[in-house]
Amino acid sequence: MMVPVRCFTCGNVVGEHWEEFDTRAKEGEEDPQEVLDELGVERYCCRRMLVSHTDLVDVVSPYQ
Amino acid sequence: MAPAYDVEFVEREERKARFLVRGVTPAFANGIRRAMVADVPTMAIDEVRFIENSSVMFDEQIALRMGLIPLTTPPEGEFVEGDTVTLAIDVEGPGTAYSGDFVSSDELVKPADLNVPIIDLKDGQRLEAEADAAMDRGKSHARHQGGVAVGYRHLQRVEVVGDRDQFEDEEPHIVRGVIEDDGELVPTSEFDHDLTVRYPGKEVRIEDVPNAFVFHVETDGSFSVEELVTRAIDSLEQRARELEDAVQL
Amino acid sequence: MSYKCSRCKRDVELDEYGGVRCPYCGHRVLLKERSRDVKEVSVH
Repeated sequence: MMVPVRCFTCGNVVGEHWEEFDTRAKEGEEDPQEVLDELGVERYCCRRMLVSHTDLVDVVSPYQ
Repeated sequence: MAPAYDVEFVEREERKARFLVRGVTPAFANGIRRAMVADVPTMAIDEVRFIENSSVMFDEQIALRMGLIPLTTPPEGEFVEGDTVTLAIDVEGPGTAYSGDFVSSDELVKPADLNVPIIDLKDGQRLEAEADAAMDRGKSHARHQGGVAVGYRHLQRVEVVGDRDQFEDEEPHIVRGVIEDDGELVPTSEFDHDLTVRYPGKEVRIEDVPNAFVFHVETDGSFSVEELVTRAIDSLEQRARELEDAVQL
Repeated sequence: MSYKCSRCKRDVELDEYGGVRCPYCGHRVLLKERSRDVKEVSVH
């Protein structure tokens, strides 16, 4: 559904980086590794939160 | 008489720091760590009144997301545990409701990060809610935990003991943390955590420096690192005093 | 009781005689509207 606000493992706030990560690395052509480094998402627990996330709001909204 | 602690910063930013403390026992170092994680009260939303929510997520899910947003915590003494602050949000779609859309009733307590998406609203959907933020400790729920990824390592002393054998294999010698080389503090990230990069062709001995710990502290934005550490130590001191009073006849 | 017809999206008032059916289009799937009450949720 929506991006988790915090990293499940360490509690760091990762939600605020989602939109930039999405436009630059998922929809854009940039290397996800470099984007995450630039955003300051260092640990691999926080990185997987963004790398593995998919927005589902658009998928479920027609059934409201 | 309290012993003098020697504190030296290796890395220092608003929300992230590394510092070396000398002259503490492992038990005391761990006490500080645990106090930073579980015993420093922070503000967080823990009750939400939904006036309207026609988004795709349930009230409970949105309430949980709101709870995890870090809020700035007022200076010590301004609030006590149990005090509440009300934050209101009213966003209509199409658009996304962000943590920055919260309007607080108190200037001292507001979202620390303004760009955390709460919920994506489609055309005609609306989110209107009032949230009560309260002061509590990390012990009771992770949303009240101010310290993120708080930990410590021994300071390691590296000594060159001689030259490496001419035909010996050059295997990487990985060390993580901060090393002390002739009194100079060097984070291992400077030489890719590999001692053979810093001391090529040398035989080195590495040992833990007794009672010297390098803390790594990050905060979620509720307050600065300095604030977190000093509040953690205050809480430790306060509990020690309580114990002293309880033991006295 | 206030409902909303899932086909014509019009508000429907049901009574005990009419059965479950939209009086405007005859559709039998009705959706219950969210209550106007303020809902209090504690964050767990």
